[in-house]
Amino acid sequence: MNPIDDDTLQAYVDGQLDAAEAARVDAALAQDDALAGRVRRMRTLNTRLRAAFDPVLDEPLPERLSALLQPARPNVAPIVLAGGRGADAGRRRAPRRWLMPGAALAASVALLAAALWWHAGNGLVRMRSGGPYASGALGRALDQSLASEPDAHAPVAIGLSFRTAEGNICRTFTIRTPPARAGLACHTAAGWELPVLAPSAPAESGELRQAASSLPPAVQAAVDARLRGNVFDAQQERAARAAGWR
Amino acid sequence: MHSSDAVREGLLALLPRLRRLARALAGQAADADDLVQVVLERALARAGQWRPDAALDKWVFAIARNAWRDELRARGRAQHLFAPEEAGEAVADGSDVRHARQMELAQAVAMLPPDHREVVALVLVEGLSYDEAAALLEVPVGTVTSRLARARATLQAHLGNDA
Repeated sequence: MNPIDDDTLQAYVDGQLDAAEAARVDAALAQDDALAGRVRRMRTLNTRLRAAFDPVLDEPLPERLSALLQPARPNVAPIVLAGGRGADAGRRRAPRRWLMPGAALAASVALLAAALWWHAGNGLVRMRSGGPYASGALGRALDQSLASEPDAHAPVAIGLSFRTAEGNICRTFTIRTPPARAGLACHTAAGWELPVLAPSAPAESGELRQAASSLPPAVQAAVDARLRGNVFDAQQERAARAAGWR
Repeated sequence: MHSSDAVREGLLALLPRLRRLARALAGQAADADDLVQVVLERALARAGQWRPDAALDKWVFAIARNAWRDELRARGRAQHLFAPEEAGEAVADGSDVRHARQMELAQAVAMLPPDHREVVALVLVEGLSYDEAAALLEVPVGTVTSRLARARATLQAHLGNDA
């Protein structure tokens, strides 16, 4: 058997080998502690690199970047500065949308409408019998994802699941793809109805409780209004999925 | 379907990954987001050149890599901010090694020579295959693997004994 050369070992760690070659390396590793140690160190480096840079994925997006990509919005008009000069197109700042502290309730209606409009364009929300329902990746995440098995790379993060006084199951979620939104979805015969959807800081990748504590106030209020008893633990959540969220 | 709309939507979905790539390339968060802004503007301006059968992420990553190289060249002309390749590698086995080990890994990446940094960013951070990275960088696959091996050796030295 040929010895394992450095290039092969590196390709093994990076998942670039076909099954037969990978099996050959596996066999060599089982018999060679030094080789296994090198693989372990390379894997550690890979893991630490991901740990060093992956948190960027969960950072809130700078508005100047997401604003460049808003569809059919008048944000391409340069902001006129006090001096009457147009802002430098390359360093344009987006207008601050829906973040005014005093604009509370009236704005939240427009805000929900805007959020729905945007997500409808992305196939995450569908209007049906007058109300918004989850569709596409959001519907799939609500059907399949478990908060007890978080996936930091999934476009939708699930938070709390619980049963309402009426007997429906509701789940909180955060849409990580920009612009980040959090909401509540309640399972009905027609699908996942969305009573509330609000702008959000991107979800922490991780704990159930953290996700709950970082919910926007509108979503938290919707949860408080419906929650009876306790939120599901991992076992109850899994059982609810097995039962089709009924 | 207007291709610019498709590109715009795709860029929005890609934005977190694009920011991660830029952070690995440019180091500082502010520099990285400046790079991302340039990339978005270029990608939107060239939306007509994107073919829907080509993966948008590779297309945008190539724009990002080239924009970063442009930026390096512009800075290099202004001031010699970036050490030549040999100096970058000397960090691994020179007397600076103890100091270097105390640095965060991200800083160690930022000190890699550009040729090494871009393969680390594309393959180890973004998860491209060797073939994809070679195509994007327009170099042979063997060049990608040899740069990767040397970058690994440098970074491994930074991690030190606890690795």
